Amino acid sequence: MTGLTIAIAFAASCVTFACPLLLASLGETVVERGGILNLGIEGAMLIGAFSGFLGAYFTGVLWVGLLTAMIGGIASVLLFGVLVVRFNLDQVVSGLAINLLASGVALYFLRVAFPGGGYPHLNFLFQPFAVPLLSQIPVVGPIVFNQPGFFYLAIVLVPIVFYLIYRTTFGLRLRSVGEDPRIASYVGINVSRIRYTSLVLEGALVGLAGAFVTLSQFNTFDTRLTTGLGFIAVSIVILGRWNPAGALIGSLIFGSTEALSFWGTAFLTGPQASSLAQLLTILPYVTTLVALVVGGRMSKGPSALGAPYAKE
Amino acid sequence: MGQETQAQTQTSASPALAPAPTPSSATAPDAAQPLSRGILSRSRLRSIYKAAISILLALVVTSVLFIITGANPLVAYYYMFYGAFGNTSFLIETLVRMSPILFVSLGLGIAFKCKVWNIGAEGQLYIGAFLGAETAIFLGNSPLALPASIVLAILGGMGWAAIPALMKTQLGINEVITTFLMNFVAIDLVTWFVSYPFRSTTADFPQSATIPASAMLPILIPHTRFHLGIAIALLAALPLVYFLMAKTTFGYKLRVVGENPEAAKYGGINVKKTIFLALIISGALAGLAGLFEVEGIQFSVMTSLSPGYGYTGIAVALLGGNNPIGILLSSFFLAGIYNGSVNVSIQLGQPSGIVSFIQGVLIIFVLGSEYIMRFLERKGVFKR
Repeated sequence: MTGLTIAIAFAASCVTFACPLLLASLGETVVERGGILNLGIEGAMLIGAFSGFLGAYFTGVLWVGLLTAMIGGIASVLLFGVLVVRFNLDQVVSGLAINLLASGVALYFLRVAFPGGGYPHLNFLFQPFAVPLLSQIPVVGPIVFNQPGFFYLAIVLVPIVFYLIYRTTFGLRLRSVGEDPRIASYVGINVSRIRYTSLVLEGALVGLAGAFVTLSQFNTFDTRLTTGLGFIAVSIVILGRWNPAGALIGSLIFGSTEALSFWGTAFLTGPQASSLAQLLTILPYVTTLVALVVGGRMSKGPSALGAPYAKE
Repeated sequence: MGQETQAQTQTSASPALAPAPTPSSATAPDAAQPLSRGILSRSRLRSIYKAAISILLALVVTSVLFIITGANPLVAYYYMFYGAFGNTSFLIETLVRMSPILFVSLGLGIAFKCKVWNIGAEGQLYIGAFLGAETAIFLGNSPLALPASIVLAILGGMGWAAIPALMKTQLGINEVITTFLMNFVAIDLVTWFVSYPFRSTTADFPQSATIPASAMLPILIPHTRFHLGIAIALLAALPLVYFLMAKTTFGYKLRVVGENPEAAKYGGINVKKTIFLALIISGALAGLAGLFEVEGIQFSVMTSLSPGYGYTGIAVALLGGNNPIGILLSSFFLAGIYNGSVNVSIQLGQPSGIVSFIQGVLIIFVLGSEYIMRFLERKGVFKR
């Protein structure tokens, strides 16, 4: 491969890695705008990846996998929602509980579904879709217009979520609930209904993010495939200032660091190559931490974010 | 620090996701009350009921897993409790398992008491273990190896926790995200260290060199794995943390900051300093947990050092109500779940994952136990 081909392939990979982060951080943006901090997104993405894989594996139809992934994601996020909206339990700890629960469910049912051990594989995947004409554009075409359908969906969702938050009645209510649920409730907004709606939306998006990992990016399921993605998505929401456009930029940046750590072995040569390549696995996490130091402090989120709210 | 810096804590704590103070009912219902005189005061009895109800409900929900796979839950729990507490050697193994969990959760109890959600104990454990073990390996067979390794493990865990602690107190960045992300950095770093620069020249798998004999913890009960670290956990760490939380002004500050940071600020408590100290103390204890696993059980640093003790500590601290005695009982219980689940897997061919599942369900019920208790009191099951 020539330098340019490698560079193009790498850039395309950055965009691909950004995809699940974008889907998840869009969902988290919506939920956090309504004042809910969902750290259980990590576990919900795992369940989405797992249920999507099971659906596709046992029916042989990828689209069924997509559906089961969304159901799995919605179920996980709604369980979290019941804990924090209905019972007003601590949001941080409830999120952590969902993550532990999700990893238990995935580990357990992976072996229930495949008792033989080893890792099952899918023979079919959501392949990249070359957009007619546009994919022929030099350099940009293969990078942006030859991606799995998930990517186009995520890109289209950026303005849609933006419109939803800033230009619709739902968005106005969502934002007022996120700023002060008590006052929102006084003026007649059904706080619980708004929050549940946002959580269902997030569940679907996070489920899709999980499905992308097992049905397009990799062809197998392992509980480690989505590890850390949820927390990186939450960090992207902070750095993106709770704005869908910010989520897009953040996802591309962090997707690139993941692609870099994934591609390490291909780029590095010499006796230290394998050592350095392994060291690169910390890159996405270190980048996120550094970015939080640089950009996190000026970031001001919805006033009621993470705060308990008991209906009076 | 003066009034001005304290005021900044408040402003820097509210943006960027800092969880606002939660109602006391959520996690530590009687945290504000001074430790009561009687051993079984009403409020303490009530917390014991709540913990027992949480455990019972968690086991009931988990039995769904067994039913799905066609196993009888009662048989499964028989194997679980037999494998955990059934005979002397199982019981001793459960105490061996309890040691790292107790160290981690005692520290997390301190952090959680002031509502600092350190979920980075796993990483602090790895860093402490690695630094301590490499210190012992560096010093070789000298009497200094053991004490020096302990100091370095404490400093390692503290230092690793100090990074998110500074990010929280100086920049107001949510510690939940930073401590969690730093787990990956720690585990990947230690994995890299023992795979490349510090790899053992003799072992087949990536692991550090073996620690010198002088740094191996003595076995206290012959023919078992009951090592000195367990005694240190029970006879030194536990009383020290109890003393710190119950008898010192720091313990008092922890409670006030956790219950009401506004009041703490007006009462002249340095909120930032309290949060910082709580985080690094919990890091130090996590570092010790890792070191004693290496020096008492494994004898070299492996990539599979901990099966998630850092996360188990979260469930334990919450179940124990962030109280050292409660934490002791809960860590014994969860150590039993770990070992008992192994026995269930052997006897009934059950898949792994039970431990994480129980922990998740347990945390949910512990959080919701105040609701459940009030419900039962309304129904007259318990006296109000």
